Amino acid sequence: MTAAIAYEAPAAAAAGTGLPDRVRELALRFEGTAGEYFRIWVVNLCLTLLSLGVFSAWAKVRKKRYFYSRATLDGTPFQYLGQPVPILKGRIVAVCLALLYYAASRFFTSLLPYVLALGAVLAPWVLVRSAAFNARYTAYRNMTFGFDAGYRDALRALYGWQGALALVLAVIAFATTAEAEAKQAMVYGAVALVFGLTFPWWLRRYKHFLVSRSVFGGRYGDLSATGGQFFRIYLLAGLLFALAGALVAALAGVLAGPLMPAARAEGGMLFAGLMLLAIYAVYVLAYAYMQAGTANLVWNTATLGAVRFESTLRARGLAKLYLSNALGILGSAGFLIPWAVIRTFKYRAEHLRVIAVDDLAGFRGRQEGTVRAAGAEVGEFFDLDVSL
Amino acid sequence: MSTATIPLAGRHYDGHHPLGSAATLMLGGTEAALIGTRIAQRYRLQELRVSPRIAGAARFVVLPDGGQFECADSAALDRLPQEGRSEGVVAWLEQRLAVAVAAVVVIVAAALGGYLYGIPAAAERLAPRIPMHTERVLGDQALAWLDGRGWFQRTQLDAGLQDQIRQGFGLLHSGLPLAAHYRREFRNAPELGANALALPGGAIVITDQMVGRAQSPEEVLAVLAHEIGHVELRHAMRHVLQDSAVAVAVSAVTSDAASLGVAVSGLPVVLAQARYSREFESEADAFAFRLLRRHGLSPHAFADLMERLQGPGPDHAQAYAFLSSHPVTAERVRRARAAAQ
Repeated sequence: MTAAIAYEAPAAAAAGTGLPDRVRELALRFEGTAGEYFRIWVVNLCLTLLSLGVFSAWAKVRKKRYFYSRATLDGTPFQYLGQPVPILKGRIVAVCLALLYYAASRFFTSLLPYVLALGAVLAPWVLVRSAAFNARYTAYRNMTFGFDAGYRDALRALYGWQGALALVLAVIAFATTAEAEAKQAMVYGAVALVFGLTFPWWLRRYKHFLVSRSVFGGRYGDLSATGGQFFRIYLLAGLLFALAGALVAALAGVLAGPLMPAARAEGGMLFAGLMLLAIYAVYVLAYAYMQAGTANLVWNTATLGAVRFESTLRARGLAKLYLSNALGILGSAGFLIPWAVIRTFKYRAEHLRVIAVDDLAGFRGRQEGTVRAAGAEVGEFFDLDVSL
Repeated sequence: MSTATIPLAGRHYDGHHPLGSAATLMLGGTEAALIGTRIAQRYRLQELRVSPRIAGAARFVVLPDGGQFECADSAALDRLPQEGRSEGVVAWLEQRLAVAVAAVVVIVAAALGGYLYGIPAAAERLAPRIPMHTERVLGDQALAWLDGRGWFQRTQLDAGLQDQIRQGFGLLHSGLPLAAHYRREFRNAPELGANALALPGGAIVITDQMVGRAQSPEEVLAVLAHEIGHVELRHAMRHVLQDSAVAVAVSAVTSDAASLGVAVSGLPVVLAQARYSREFESEADAFAFRLLRRHGLSPHAFADLMERLQGPGPDHAQAYAFLSSHPVTAERVRRARAAAQ
């Protein structure tokens, strides 16, 4: 809400909306239905299975096209412009890299450090291409989005001073230990320590990179969130997780006394199952808290030209959504996945407002070149998250 | 086809401003006219491209001058050249209820068939083609880990007994196709207790506690024969292949719901792994019974030892059989006794 103040001129408040003159909310709606999406999902999944995965590129395009065309902003649907054949080529590259990683992690473990190093070198390229592909093939009112950054920008955003520090620590560790196995452990340890401790600041830089290099109609995005704000979210989520974990453990201690000696096998299994469920519920709550907090923070501090956003996700609502989705999917052997996906989109759209000053007049279209799909597909394969 | 002009109401976007203006596209036989508040233009139908149909959503007509016309879906749009022909076929399939029903049937059949037969059969044929030495590293690492963490300690069996077991073990595996790869390891494992395991690459570990529970050399050989079965049938490699295949298949199906985490993608994988593991145990049992009989030994020895390890009282494991990595003991004993007849 703090960002709203910048636009508000008290005298100019328009009647009814509470928003000042020339400032207008653009209605964001997701109008997909589970029934419609089920048909698309089931036909495309079937063709993907029958073609042993080759069709998955077409399936991806169809699903994305559906989500985009059912998401409307100010009455106009978004457009997905990706094409299946380039995506298929990209997926082949991604599968080859995944097989390389798989073979190195399972069978040729001596090669793993080199494969991981290759991955670290490729990661900035994958990031830039993923973001560029997603942006380039998303259009709104006949104007495509863009992502304007090169390999070196991504290198700095992904690794930054943490990467340099981890590298220095790793080199020191490498020089001071003799044993090969200990050397490896030290390098991994140095990387995990540096990035683990500074994760919120790393995340801020990453999100800032994604937002500030995004462009629409000649206007760039901006993100004013600070690392401290990210840190608060992760600290609270961590505390929540620890507290709930302690409660579950205490409960287990109290209940285990009378239950355990009686029927060790039967009662024990049931008991372990219940504990697992409790731990899963706690995990979901902490995860939902992190998701809601991060999404709210990013959207509420992001701007794109004269457009700003208001995200009002709640951890409790998200957790309820996740749990009911999981139950529905497990109970239906997977056939309620389309239902879960659609209601998740609906929920997110309902909790995001888009507010524009000057009715988008400041955006000016320009021609965009093509972006190859390989980087984007590699990113998707390895779960690289380029969403806000 | 008649040449009647069909008017389509929609909005025109010029590609330079994210602001639309109301317009009408008049579709004729060979030409189209776009008339709106800010545009009046004629196009030949061949120059236009219409975006693929998706559910009942609005579609976009791409104009040769870089503009776009958005309108509600209509059969009249099928007159225009389609953008991305291959997608048109898929769109046609998606609209048919019968296709959706057939797709559900095919998915269920493919999932069950792949899980029960396809994946195990493919792994069984593929595994023998992968050289044993690729597994060796994994087995060595596993053993080093178990040794390093104190799960395994130096054996305390006396040398005479070790020699006796070694000799019997040598006889059991001599002549088998993978005979060159076998190594036997004795370990004292006070925490793990009576156990034997076949590691990837052909190392077979038997714990002092297992030897201690056996009441005859035959019973020890029966356990070793079971572990030889795991190695000879390439169960380690097949496990890796099958588990990976299941993980890939499950993640492909649940990719849309990835945010739901382990509950959705993890549970099917765990259940599949447990099932495959039980199948391997039964296969290794059957292999062991044949091997024992070939050497003039009785599968009764296996049954006796299993019963002793199980102990008296009801078998609680039965209720959770679908989660267990091993078949129910009573069943294994019954099969061993049957094989001994």
